[in-house]
Amino acid sequence: MNPRFSLYFAWYYGFRVIGRGSSYVIASIATPLTLLFLVFVLSHGQLVEYAVVGGFVSLIASNGLTSASDAAFLRLQAKIQDLFIATSISSTDYMIGLTLSFLLFTTPGIVLYAALSLLYHLFTIERVLVLVAVLFMLALSTSAISFIIAGAIRHIRNVWGIVGILSIIMTVLPPTYYPYTYLPRSIIYILAISPATPAAIILQGAFGLSPEFLAMILVLVGETIVYLSLAKYFTRWREK
Amino acid sequence: MIRISELRKVYSDGTVALDGIDAEMEKRVTAVIGRNGAGKTTMMRILSTQLAPTSGKVFIDGLDVMRQTTEVRKKIASIPQEATPIGILTPEEHVTLYLMARNFSHADARRETLTALDNLGIREYRNKPADTLSGGTKRKIFVAMAIASNADTVFLDEPTTGLDPVSRMEVWSSIRKLDGNIIVTTHYMEEAEELSQEVFLVDRGTVIERGEVKALLSRFSGKLRAESHSPIDGATQISNTFIKYIQSGEVEKYASMGCTIKRITLDDIFINRGVDVES
Repeated sequence: MNPRFSLYFAWYYGFRVIGRGSSYVIASIATPLTLLFLVFVLSHGQLVEYAVVGGFVSLIASNGLTSASDAAFLRLQAKIQDLFIATSISSTDYMIGLTLSFLLFTTPGIVLYAALSLLYHLFTIERVLVLVAVLFMLALSTSAISFIIAGAIRHIRNVWGIVGILSIIMTVLPPTYYPYTYLPRSIIYILAISPATPAAIILQGAFGLSPEFLAMILVLVGETIVYLSLAKYFTRWREK
Repeated sequence: MIRISELRKVYSDGTVALDGIDAEMEKRVTAVIGRNGAGKTTMMRILSTQLAPTSGKVFIDGLDVMRQTTEVRKKIASIPQEATPIGILTPEEHVTLYLMARNFSHADARRETLTALDNLGIREYRNKPADTLSGGTKRKIFVAMAIASNADTVFLDEPTTGLDPVSRMEVWSSIRKLDGNIIVTTHYMEEAEELSQEVFLVDRGTVIERGEVKALLSRFSGKLRAESHSPIDGATQISNTFIKYIQSGEVEKYASMGCTIKRITLDDIFINRGVDVES
């Protein structure tokens, strides 16, 4: 493990890039803010607390999935991944570095949603701790999915379409902006393939917005482990 | 030293990229030359731990590339052929980050980065985003990584492709200053002659010739190449060009036939495959 490399990678590829192209940051908060606005209007403000909590989930999940484009670009087009293979770092160091870079892009969005949460009196210490733990696992699992996609595809053009489809399936369809109780159990289990689903359900329970559904904690932890294991395999630190 | 035995690579679509390569690379600079698709890049990717072979063995300084991968990776640096910089990062950031991946401290990485950028004449661009740089300068960023790496063995896959003649000479000059063993692939024969002590000529996944440049060229001792677009008796035809190897005493005769007379280069080893120059 070379955490120093991961941190520097995040510094260069995340922080400095934000400084030079703020469009990354704006892009990462555009969809969650748009959906928050729609939920506010359509529910006459009644579901806005769901949308604020779901906004955290949507922000992290969509950002994690978007990193597939960069991971694929660095592997297939720029050949930067090949460059790093013949060094001292492992695929895990590289994945952590790229994940942290993308997490940095979400910082302004997190601050914005934190401010909204304070405005709606949603935060307590316990809730914040649950939020941090859930978002951490969500970031790991969605980034892992992005590395699986980036490692599995053969042509860079394919990644944009796949990410577009997955962003909808994995961040908009799950109960991020509405109560999960609106959905039949069978649909919840199908949607649970997206880590955003258990993440949103856990947070709705923790924030007292919906009944708790503790089995979703196991689902989220299990998915994170499975997706990370698959990502390690698909990152192709030596191609076959 | 690199020892390759019975190296074979067959891709999933059935393409045989390497077909049983045996080689020992022990000179300071070794050039692997061949046409596009000859198998050079596949060989470099296997040697530099990026690609698994279908069969065969590779040892770098006694370390098995497949079994002792972590140790091998600490000793080598590899610059892929088609590597392109990340547009929004600067040359200094690229090289520094690469050196951090090689376990340099941040301070050492920055110092070595500036020295390498200096050596390649691109220090003045160190803080400019790569997107704004010329193709040649972008390529030099990767050469700077190799120069600064301090690796025992450096693999450079076509390091000067796309560079203008002056930039190419600057890169050659920097490569000559490298301490470790260097394996360079190229399809510029001039580059192989200029840089390497030994060349491996690869064609269709096999090594078809191997030797020191002088020894390979000595086969053509006293000969010159006559080229014409019109047929010449006993010439080899490549596309619409007719090529014949002639004695220096025959220059006038062939020149009067409208032939262009050229000195022998490593190109001729390839051109001459299947033609007996001694006859």
